[in-house]
Amino acid sequence: MNYKLNTSKDVPKGTLLTALARLVPLMAGERRSVVVAAVAILLNSGVTLAAPALIAYIVDHFLLTHNYAGVMQFSLVLVGLYLVGLVAAYVQTLTMGRTGRRVLFALRNSLFTKLQELPIAFFYQNKAGDLISRINNDTDRLNQFFAQALMQFIGNVALIAGSGVFLLVLNWRLGVATLIPAACALIITQLISPWVQRKNLTNMQSQGGMSAEVQESLEHFKVVVAFNRADYFRTRFDEVNQKNYRSATVAGVANNIFTPIYGLSYNVAQVVVLVYGLSLVHAGVMTIGLLVAFLLYANSFYNPLRQLASVWASLQQALAGLDRISEVLSMRSDMQVLDAASWSESHSASGAAQSDVPVPVISFKDVVFGYVAGNEVLHHVSFDLLPGKTYAFVGPTGGGKTTTASLMARLYDAAAGAIYLRGEDIRSLSPSERADKIGFILQEPFLFSGTVGENISYGNTRYAHASAADLAQVLAERGLEGLLERFPDGLGTVVATSGDAMSLGQKQIIAFLRAVLREPELLILDEATANIDTVTEQVLEDILQKLPATTTKVIIAHRLNTISAADDIFFVNAGSITRAGSLEHAVDLLLHNKRQS
Amino acid sequence: MRGGLFSVLRPYRGMVALLVLLTVASNALNLAVPTLIAKAIDAYSAGRFVADSVLLEFSLVAIAVFVFVYLQSIVQTYCSERVARDLRREVAEKISVEEYAYIDQVTPAKLLTNLTSDIDAVKNFIAQAIPSIVSSAFLIIGASTLLLILDWRLALTVLAVLPVIAVTFFLVLRRVRPLFRKTQETIDWLNRIINESILAAALVRLVNSQQYEYEKFLEANTQAKQIGFRIIQLFAGLLPIITFCTNVATLSIVLLGGRFVIDGSMSLGSFTAFNTYLAILIFPILIIGFMSNVIAQASASWGRVAEVLSREEMQDVGTTVADLSGAVEVSGVSLRLGEKQVLNNVSFSLVPGTRNAIVGPTAAGKTQLLYLVAGLRAPSVGSITYDGRAIGTYDKESLHSQVSIVFQDSSVFNLSLRENIAFSASASDDSLQKAIDTAELGDFVASLPEGLDTVVSERGTSLSGGQKQRIMLARALAQNPRVLLLDDFTARVDTATEHKILANVERTYPGITLLSVTQKIASVEHYDQIIVLMEGEVVAQGTHEELLATSPEYVQIYQSQQSTNAYELQA
Repeated sequence: MNYKLNTSKDVPKGTLLTALARLVPLMAGERRSVVVAAVAILLNSGVTLAAPALIAYIVDHFLLTHNYAGVMQFSLVLVGLYLVGLVAAYVQTLTMGRTGRRVLFALRNSLFTKLQELPIAFFYQNKAGDLISRINNDTDRLNQFFAQALMQFIGNVALIAGSGVFLLVLNWRLGVATLIPAACALIITQLISPWVQRKNLTNMQSQGGMSAEVQESLEHFKVVVAFNRADYFRTRFDEVNQKNYRSATVAGVANNIFTPIYGLSYNVAQVVVLVYGLSLVHAGVMTIGLLVAFLLYANSFYNPLRQLASVWASLQQALAGLDRISEVLSMRSDMQVLDAASWSESHSASGAAQSDVPVPVISFKDVVFGYVAGNEVLHHVSFDLLPGKTYAFVGPTGGGKTTTASLMARLYDAAAGAIYLRGEDIRSLSPSERADKIGFILQEPFLFSGTVGENISYGNTRYAHASAADLAQVLAERGLEGLLERFPDGLGTVVATSGDAMSLGQKQIIAFLRAVLREPELLILDEATANIDTVTEQVLEDILQKLPATTTKVIIAHRLNTISAADDIFFVNAGSITRAGSLEHAVDLLLHNKRQS
Repeated sequence: MRGGLFSVLRPYRGMVALLVLLTVASNALNLAVPTLIAKAIDAYSAGRFVADSVLLEFSLVAIAVFVFVYLQSIVQTYCSERVARDLRREVAEKISVEEYAYIDQVTPAKLLTNLTSDIDAVKNFIAQAIPSIVSSAFLIIGASTLLLILDWRLALTVLAVLPVIAVTFFLVLRRVRPLFRKTQETIDWLNRIINESILAAALVRLVNSQQYEYEKFLEANTQAKQIGFRIIQLFAGLLPIITFCTNVATLSIVLLGGRFVIDGSMSLGSFTAFNTYLAILIFPILIIGFMSNVIAQASASWGRVAEVLSREEMQDVGTTVADLSGAVEVSGVSLRLGEKQVLNNVSFSLVPGTRNAIVGPTAAGKTQLLYLVAGLRAPSVGSITYDGRAIGTYDKESLHSQVSIVFQDSSVFNLSLRENIAFSASASDDSLQKAIDTAELGDFVASLPEGLDTVVSERGTSLSGGQKQRIMLARALAQNPRVLLLDDFTARVDTATEHKILANVERTYPGITLLSVTQKIASVEHYDQIIVLMEGEVVAQGTHEELLATSPEYVQIYQSQQSTNAYELQA
């Protein structure tokens, strides 16, 4: 299955209307707020547009006639108008601002939910650094747009529309002439905005590349130091820095082209009004007062348009971010839960339910698997694991041990064949059923920032909300408290971001406790104790022995001492799994088989 | 020590001056446009209207404005991106010569923030704040002057609203600023949750904790929303109040100006001009207010960047370049990391050409001890010498090219296999091949279609844990080291391979001094010296037989591994 995110430069063509249209679905469910805001916007723009007309009226009718009482009366009307504007502007800002926040909130939520839905393959096919940058930066761009620019955007669109109508109503011929420069500017915008968008996308990609590079280099910094490769960090960084500089400059120049274009179109419109308007006045078609009004309305048409141009870049960036987010949102997990009925009919012959033989905990039937199409990692593998037994999977590195274990826990789905958990197709179990039954200690343990206690009870439905004292008691009851001595403050030991300060052995102890505390039916240990000292390992071994007799254990190891207690040993090599029979046989296979990894 | 935010601009003086000049020029021309229109109308009224000359003048101004504005935007982009690039390069160079201990202490995450968002904030300061403030200041002063010239009585009345607006703005911003800071903290929190859920993707799926992750995320996201609401609440009050103040000024023009017009002390033209210039006046005040925020943010970011840049160069860097024999003396070494005493009075010595092991429980300080010997960290107390000379007196390059370390965790760079293994500059083609053979990677390399030129990726599933670890070993061997430090190297390599590899090392690198941190006593039983480390202290040292006779701790570890010893010995 391909979960690779697009890194190409294809950009959907964007015009003002299509851009707006793409924001509309985000506003679904916000109808009431949108209506309230729309009314407020109309009122506010109305006031903004009416006030100059009123002042012009005062000038024409009272100042020129020296009627100060009239000035006073109409000033009162003006005060009323301004007060309406005050309230409308307040409602407008508040409603739209809150709507923006809510939309952003919902978008972030659905993005995060999607990330949780996607299978593990998605995370391995995309670089973690790039994924993180994509999600953090792109939501941030949307955030900036929704928090700051959206308000301005919508208010300005209303003003532009109102002024446009006024211009056309006052004198349609001069109105059309006044609007022609704006139309030209819009056409130019349409023509160049795909290019601008492309430049922004390139810039975002090079930014993501830079973060990924820095992250990778700094995480491996000790290697850089130990091997005298300060120059590696410098040259690599210089390269991405230079690339980012170039793409950012180009994107900046592209984004900034709109402001002067709209400024120019306004100036052209002014000349048009002046020259064509004066010629109309000369021809007696319109009055000079009307000409002044035209200049005013041209101003209130072009000024917001110019501001719109500056917000335009922010809109473009938000849309580019939205594109990249949509791409993640449109990913579909191909690991759905099967309908239990549909498989049981077709597989009823699997023999799982037949009488005296105990139902295997895990059963592989002719399983084929590969991470990428055409490169098979496991070839037609079949085996059964019976309840309460301990199984060891041994074999050279790269032979397919971890892959086999990952399939048992349905981190991936088999390409062909089937895997049964307690006689049921593993694909028919809900994730929670599966998680209840399977405990998996990963080769590379991960710690969340927080405390050791929180990490141990992580994801545990029973103890997730237990206090440290309760958790300590539970651990003591099971004879697990001794392991906590490895941590200076026991359960309360603070884990910094990603557990960087912990040793690998300490992380493995936490992962071990995390899995054991869940009391799974099937416990998989994938090189789980590789970095733990042998004394502690002995303690872990005792704990494993004391697990309920029904617990099936799968131990993956290179070190033979960890598998001496196994009931059965499987030898995994080059994608095939053979039963070794005895430890001696396994040792023999390990020592004398040619590695095929 | 670095100066304030403005000191960033010093090397770019010329460009900034050009930026200011262009900004002033385009704004000055913009202020002239109303005058041009007034002139045209006046000329028409007086019957002297010549369309051609108006058209010409106006076109010239319009084109000049267009050119100046676009030039300004190009200069501002170019200048800000240049500054950002140069700052990034400077920070990266600073980081690249730092010690590992420093990076470990300040954390890569913080340095990443310094390199990206902090420098972006400084960039925004140049791209947005400087031109905006220059043009705003120019427009305010220009428009005010014109108003005062037109009619000083009315001008003073109108200008009286300016302090009101400024004070309102100041009060609101003072309340908004802590909220902005909190927003940033919340965003950091959100990002941490996202990042951890990505890095822990496998675990989350295994224990089915998606819902829990979502709840954590929801909490942070909800807080972000609520802070956003509070900011909007403040701004929703601010903007309408400012507009209203402006409107009050308009009203005073109508009332007072109207009075003046009626009593004949003011012309109708001046009355109209007042309205126009008032509109020009208000917007810049808003801009300056908003930009004060950008500046505050940029100053804070610059402070963090300057902190990295102004870190003093490392003192007394070693200069000794010498061939090492492999004689290492660790005496009375202690190490404190933060609150924690990691190592306490550790002493031992390595004889050239011998094989030595450090065994001990998890978190005993074994890895940190290895870092000290490798020169990645300096001990808090005590000394480490190579051939009798303190480790610090050696030239870093000379030391690191002769002392190789294989880290516990594998670091695969996004490079070809060849570049990953011959990572050290002192690796040659011969030494590369020798290292590959020794690390038993030959078959693996041969199985790849592109061989050594195959690019291996960061978290690629293409490499197994053991393959990665063997690549790490090959990388260490490729520089033909005199001293080889192994940190739990065999944890992920199967027993057969491990034995073969260690035998290979002894055969192909004769005379190499080996110091190996390990869990498996069986692999180091025949070593010349075994050091038992517990809770940061050396509890025993000697050969396997000596330790069996004298060290109960060693015996305990040994016995815990006994059950399978028979098999280990076969190999």
